[in-house]
Amino acid sequence: MTQRSKEAHALFLFLVGLLAWLVPGAGHLAINKKKHAIIIFVTIALTFCAGLYIGSVGIIDSVGAKPWFIAQLMNSPAVAVLGRISKAGDYAVYARPNEIGQIYTSIAGLLNLLCIVNAVYWAHLRQTETIGD
Amino acid sequence: MSIMDVFFIASFTVPEKINVNPQSILWLLPLIASISIVYKATKIRKIKAAGFLKEVVILFGSIVIFMVVTAIVLCALAWLITE
Repeated sequence: MTQRSKEAHALFLFLVGLLAWLVPGAGHLAINKKKHAIIIFVTIALTFCAGLYIGSVGIIDSVGAKPWFIAQLMNSPAVAVLGRISKAGDYAVYARPNEIGQIYTSIAGLLNLLCIVNAVYWAHLRQTETIGD
Repeated sequence: MSIMDVFFIASFTVPEKINVNPQSILWLLPLIASISIVYKATKIRKIKAAGFLKEVVILFGSIVIFMVVTAIVLCALAWLITE
């Protein structure tokens, strides 16, 4: 692999990872895995929305629950916007719904992290297999 | 913005009422389902509906069975220690 193609390959992997973070499943869509992309998008979006519905938007707390917020942020950068909304408003959040909502949204984020790594890995494999052929 | 939209958005600003009782453990099941689906989507290269569903159900069942066994063992341990 030449220096130029190595750089192009690294840039492609970065773009796949970035897309996968921006919208769950978009990384897989970029490498022509449409079925995977649909399954990932629907499942992660539903899990995240279920968490928000159970615990209210107040569960996205960038100050009081930083470790949870970092995991939630893995869903998409849009979570940071929700964090701002949550910070500005006075949304009720308490007890069991808070715990369950945080667990749902954070697990959704960690699942998306798994998908980001998977999309980048498959993009890398596809590129190296193409060169090998 | 229609009244339906306002109700829809409002439902995300108030927490649901969930009591602390043994039934609340069932909230675990949808989460296990989504973990099984996403994990299998990252493992299977070519997705065929029947095969994918079978793999997801097997993983879902394994996780549930493992958690039930763990719960029984922990209950037995707690019973042995406290009795």
